[in-house]
Amino acid sequence: MSAPWLLVLYIYAQGGPAQGAAPPGQAVFASRCGFCHGRDAAGGEGGPDLTVSALVAADVNGDRLTAVIRDGRVDKGMPAFGSLGASDLSAVVAFIHDQKKKAETQPGRRRSVDLADLLTGNVEAGRAYFDGAGGCARCHKPDGDLAGVASRLRGLALMQRLLNPGANRGQKPNPATVTVTVPTGERITGQLAHRDEFTIAMIDPSGWYRSWPATAVRFTVDDPLDAHRAQLAKYTDADLHDVLSYLQTLK
Amino acid sequence: MRRLLLFSAVVVATCGRAAAQGLEPAALLNPSADSWPTYHGDYTGQRHSPLMQITPANVARLTLAWAFQTGQGASIKATPILVNGILYVSVPDQLWAIDARSARQIWHYRYPENAGFHIGHRGVAVYKDTVYLTTPDAHLVALDARNGSMRWNVEIADAKKGYWSTNAPLLVRNHLLVGVAGDFDNLPGILTSIDPETGKTQWVFHSTPPPGAPGSPSGGATGGQMWMTGTYDPQLDLVYVGTGNPTPVLNGSARPGDNPWTCSIVAIHPETGRLEWGFQATPHDTHDWDAAEVPVLVDGVVDGVPRKLLLQASRNGYFFVLDRANGTSVKTLPFAAANWAAGIDKAGRPVPNPAKEPARDGRLVAPNEAGGTNYRSPSFDPATGLFIVSAQDSYGIYFYKPEHGDYGWAGADHNVFGRAFLRAIDYRTGEFRWTHDLGDGGAPAGVLTTASGLTFSGDASGNALALRTSDGATLWHSSIGVVGNSPITYQLDGRQYVVVASGGVLFGFALPEGQ
Repeated sequence: MSAPWLLVLYIYAQGGPAQGAAPPGQAVFASRCGFCHGRDAAGGEGGPDLTVSALVAADVNGDRLTAVIRDGRVDKGMPAFGSLGASDLSAVVAFIHDQKKKAETQPGRRRSVDLADLLTGNVEAGRAYFDGAGGCARCHKPDGDLAGVASRLRGLALMQRLLNPGANRGQKPNPATVTVTVPTGERITGQLAHRDEFTIAMIDPSGWYRSWPATAVRFTVDDPLDAHRAQLAKYTDADLHDVLSYLQTLK
Repeated sequence: MRRLLLFSAVVVATCGRAAAQGLEPAALLNPSADSWPTYHGDYTGQRHSPLMQITPANVARLTLAWAFQTGQGASIKATPILVNGILYVSVPDQLWAIDARSARQIWHYRYPENAGFHIGHRGVAVYKDTVYLTTPDAHLVALDARNGSMRWNVEIADAKKGYWSTNAPLLVRNHLLVGVAGDFDNLPGILTSIDPETGKTQWVFHSTPPPGAPGSPSGGATGGQMWMTGTYDPQLDLVYVGTGNPTPVLNGSARPGDNPWTCSIVAIHPETGRLEWGFQATPHDTHDWDAAEVPVLVDGVVDGVPRKLLLQASRNGYFFVLDRANGTSVKTLPFAAANWAAGIDKAGRPVPNPAKEPARDGRLVAPNEAGGTNYRSPSFDPATGLFIVSAQDSYGIYFYKPEHGDYGWAGADHNVFGRAFLRAIDYRTGEFRWTHDLGDGGAPAGVLTTASGLTFSGDASGNALALRTSDGATLWHSSIGVVGNSPITYQLDGRQYVVVASGGVLFGFALPEGQ
């Protein structure tokens, strides 16, 4: 039997020519994760670029990633992949780390966004927008809550944070509060835990979750992030880049 | 007249139950009330049922009749298909046949493991006694509808090139129209007509031509995949299908011009696959806004004149009313936040503002990539003239730089924020008759209306909802988890069921027994 023939047999034993040379985890990643995160893990439809993910960077041999893959982030739109076995899970984790290494050695191929890309705004115009038309100064102080913000967040992360601070993995530095007036007339103020058409819920001052039928009580919600959401329809792209460039000076 | 026809169809179907038979294609012209025999329920795409048992007066008593646990992780996004008292429900690689009265499993089919994208599955098609399942590796599998045994398996497109399929095929006579997807590679857009008896290809329609095709109008664009189920007008004998975004996706400079027929509605002759007309919802798309959403067919009256119309709430945030005989525009207006168009041209197409194309430093664009709406179905209620759509006011940031290249995605984009609403649009005026808040984030449920004046859908917080169609008031809800598919309804043994999915579970609701 000739050597090429042996090679063909070997490739078939590995599951066909297309997969013969593939790194472990690639096929599972492509079929389960690839639509949202891209086949190469560098971003796809809706899902972030995992090669620049802070979570991936912090992960050691799956100590953080495994739980996220298994349990999902359902509130962020990532389904749970509880049906993946332990070997598939570790292969997927290894593939993501491999892709991260690959991406870091081939910067031109990445679909990521660099800090230098974003700093096209005018710092002075950004300061004026912050203090004036943007209304930012109503809640924020550059030498107060925002002191050093550019050391904590930069580039795309800072841009996303300024557009919608509520979107970053549940970090809500300034949570919404709700004041509920129950039928006895008692008023309770707590951190808003849930609100829909039928239920209003809070974490009360003692730390307990409490909920009421929305029609059975009166309530008012104060969400400091409402101003950020309302601003989305008002920004010009120039405003956005100006204010980002300004915030980037707050190191 | 329509009611009368439907009534006689119910009688025939009930009498014929002793000898159960398969689905003849002609049955799709007037589906019986004890069936949901094709993705949209019928050819119009209205997702409107003539059933009247569940009403605004009694819907508050709606209760769980059964639940079917698929027992696996993938969410059901599919519309269940009901023929002969059997519901067929699918997720990628898997199909269950269950009793539509009790949810008892009759059989389960599992397709072999494969490397295609397992992103979702829309549903099956049935022809005579065969059920058809598309697969993540872009095959079409024909199964015996009675027991799930495989009859044949054909390749629709080459999965190694990057095609996959989630499609619920559309049956017209002896043509099974099968669509595919493929956004991560520069691939021609194809819709394939398959002979349901043999699996042989009858014709292939290209929304974008294969590389090197002479006289291509697409300006170098590939893509325009037809991954959603179309609709059909038997009088005009035309099939209507929405086409997807062009590739490369976010890099528009690699494909100058309008890039027909991407992000379009196309009218195709089912016998030959010949294009009758095309209308571009987004010329030169650079934001992944497939126009794959359901092209809903309505015989209506606009400005006192009876018209054969086509309505689409498109992913780009615009609502289109077209004359479906020739594809000319009747009305174009936004139904969700949209900041990307500089105006509407004479042909009724939004004109992209070049300043909102993805850029190196990012552009803040409404809607986001998920769109003003997506593939879950809207519904049209003929009595009120309302087109009801699950909409989202949303923003995303879009990036492109030459280093991103000209293959596949070729850019980056990130969601910023979205808020979901059910919006009821009067197609004659374009006005919103009512808006119903569904909460932050996208609400992935489709919409169903019934002739009794009810609208079924779901919110972003995990509630299945029944609203009064005339004013959008909530009449019933059930906290089953976020509804992930488009609802259906049918009546068996005198009992009307409303069926929705959440996660991997299918829920059948009905009025309490004996009432």
